[in-house]
Amino acid sequence: MEPDYTKLKKRSAFPFETVAVAIAFSPRLEAILMETKRMVQMFSSQLVIIHVGKKDAHHEEVLDKLLNKIGFSKIKYRVIWMEGEPVDTILKLCKLNIVDLLLLGALEKENLYKYYVGSIARTISRRAKCSVLLLTNPSINPKKMRKIVVNGIDNLKTIHTLETTHYIAKLEKIAEFTVVQEVNTPMLSLTIAESGTEPEVSKIKKEMQEEDFTKLNALINSIDKQGVNIDLKIVKGKPGYAISHFARQNHYDLIVFNSPDTHLGIFDRIFTHDIEYVLADMPCNLLIVHSRV
Amino acid sequence: MNVISHHDLVVLLLGMATMLILSRIAAEFARSLKFPIVMGEILIGVVLGPTILGNLAPEVSAYMFPTSGNATIALNGITMVAVIMMLFVAGMEVQLPVVLKQGKAAVYTSFLSMLIPFLLGFGSAWYYPQWFAQSGEYRLLFALFFGTALSISALPVIARILIDMGLFKTKIGMIIIASAMFNDLLGWLIFSFILSSMKNVDSSYEFTHTIIYIVGFGLFMLTIGRKILDKIMPWMHQKLSWPGGVLSICLGICFLSAAFTESIGIHAILGAFIAGIAVGDSVHLKEKAREIIYQFVTNIFAPLFFVSIGLRVNFIENFNTSIVLLVLVVAYIGKVSGAFAGARLGGFNNKESLAIGFGMNARGAMEIILGTLALQAGLINETIFVALVIMAIVTSLTSGPMMRLFLEQSHFNTTNQVENN
Repeated sequence: MEPDYTKLKKRSAFPFETVAVAIAFSPRLEAILMETKRMVQMFSSQLVIIHVGKKDAHHEEVLDKLLNKIGFSKIKYRVIWMEGEPVDTILKLCKLNIVDLLLLGALEKENLYKYYVGSIARTISRRAKCSVLLLTNPSINPKKMRKIVVNGIDNLKTIHTLETTHYIAKLEKIAEFTVVQEVNTPMLSLTIAESGTEPEVSKIKKEMQEEDFTKLNALINSIDKQGVNIDLKIVKGKPGYAISHFARQNHYDLIVFNSPDTHLGIFDRIFTHDIEYVLADMPCNLLIVHSRV
Repeated sequence: MNVISHHDLVVLLLGMATMLILSRIAAEFARSLKFPIVMGEILIGVVLGPTILGNLAPEVSAYMFPTSGNATIALNGITMVAVIMMLFVAGMEVQLPVVLKQGKAAVYTSFLSMLIPFLLGFGSAWYYPQWFAQSGEYRLLFALFFGTALSISALPVIARILIDMGLFKTKIGMIIIASAMFNDLLGWLIFSFILSSMKNVDSSYEFTHTIIYIVGFGLFMLTIGRKILDKIMPWMHQKLSWPGGVLSICLGICFLSAAFTESIGIHAILGAFIAGIAVGDSVHLKEKAREIIYQFVTNIFAPLFFVSIGLRVNFIENFNTSIVLLVLVVAYIGKVSGAFAGARLGGFNNKESLAIGFGMNARGAMEIILGTLALQAGLINETIFVALVIMAIVTSLTSGPMMRLFLEQSHFNTTNQVENN
């Protein structure tokens, strides 16, 4: 039967009613499934386990044993085996099953070739029509996240990203929820060097910073912050790199971005910008919130 | 070893001191009137050069700014280094990701604001060279040059206008900045090709090689070279003295790249410009280092260069009203209509598109550098050069008021509110 795609249109980015995890029979499988179990229980979601590859008795047995060992009998899940091109197949299955959040294991850093050509996890994260959580260091003893940082970019989608992150933060009882606005003003330094006095330069910079701060503050005030304290930080630097560096230096557990506005291609990797800086060298787990509203 | 004589050294230092001090006074005066400071600097050159001082007190002019001898060679060398450094700085502000991020509006605006003035400039110079009193020796190259000269933009002037109007960080502001960056990149690539081609205009073999060298060098520096620089930048920050070490290596890379392009037959400016893009793109380059380089170049080397322009050319003798008007008309029509069409296709309304058109129309310092290099290479005569300088100043002066005219305060306030929501 053809699924009801109208359910997808204008569907809120949260709650995560259906979570999917794409698996491969790699050494990290058990850790990824352990993390998945924790998430699914926390969100009270139903789970879809996706494996792109041929279904055979051996692999089926391995997976069953592992799921039993981890204790999946307590949660509602389905396993889908499907052959095909991995990225397209996973994206298609997410759409068919109205998945709200897709979990994927990802290396912190790909080798140069894989990065430019595109690994499966990163390609999915660029193209997915649902939210994607890339887990860089899944553990067989998963721990609660303590610190989340959100990219507070000036964009219509950011409000949905903030609300979705707040939903996670509330369930996780997050200790530190930070919204970062990156300040990057190309040409400002050169223009000021040419034609600005010291007080004038300070005034321009201060005004711009205040403008950013006011905008972001208004955005944060517009969401329901119940149960969570939200900090606001302005970080100078190139968009994407500045927040990534901030997350690494301050040991955040999760960095949250809006889904890309445009299709990201190889040029965006060569002339790296925004989320591509994070994908190039992930400082921690990455959540990309896809707003369908 | 040849050494500069005591007299030549005194002349050189006296000349440079006069240029720097007077140009600073004029620049401050221009700034107080909200005019581009380059106007004040050029004006001092005109006053000190053959146009005024050379006429009123030829002995003083000949003593302070001789037209031959070691002091002149040294000053020419310094102004050439100044051009290279200015192009390096211009490159440092070209951020290709900014262009990519702005999406289709920036693509349409940058492409059409380049193509239409280029075609208009090329067409008028190619079909009617007599209008420009230009000899037929380099007809094709002159047409290519004129097209390029009309398609280039002056980023710092535009950015200053946007800051003053409070539009710097709005959608319109970012589209203008992104499009002007793209115009500069393509413009300097084409101009380097023209200058290189002047040496071997009759050989199609050399012609092909020039294109291969330019494209090859550009691609290498903007991809692999850029990544290598980004990798070594943190090491430089950690291991070398700050900020001296970083500054000397950055400028060293600029000169190395300029020397390389000059040695393979492409003009040194391309090497400097592309090196600037590669260095400026690094996320590890500290803002302070960037600011020091800018201050150093724009306040010491740029004034020397802009004053030296007036020392070389008699602006009264070479002023031709009809050529000046022709250049102005073609420049305005080409740039404003091209950027307008691009912005309309990119989704802006008529008034916003016209504002973007006039914003992009400012040519400023970049046009003057382009014209000076073309004059030095023998590609244009002094009459065309004077017309280009006047066009650069007039377009820079009119950009702000024309943008204001089309974006009344209430209008762009509404736009900002919509964006904020």
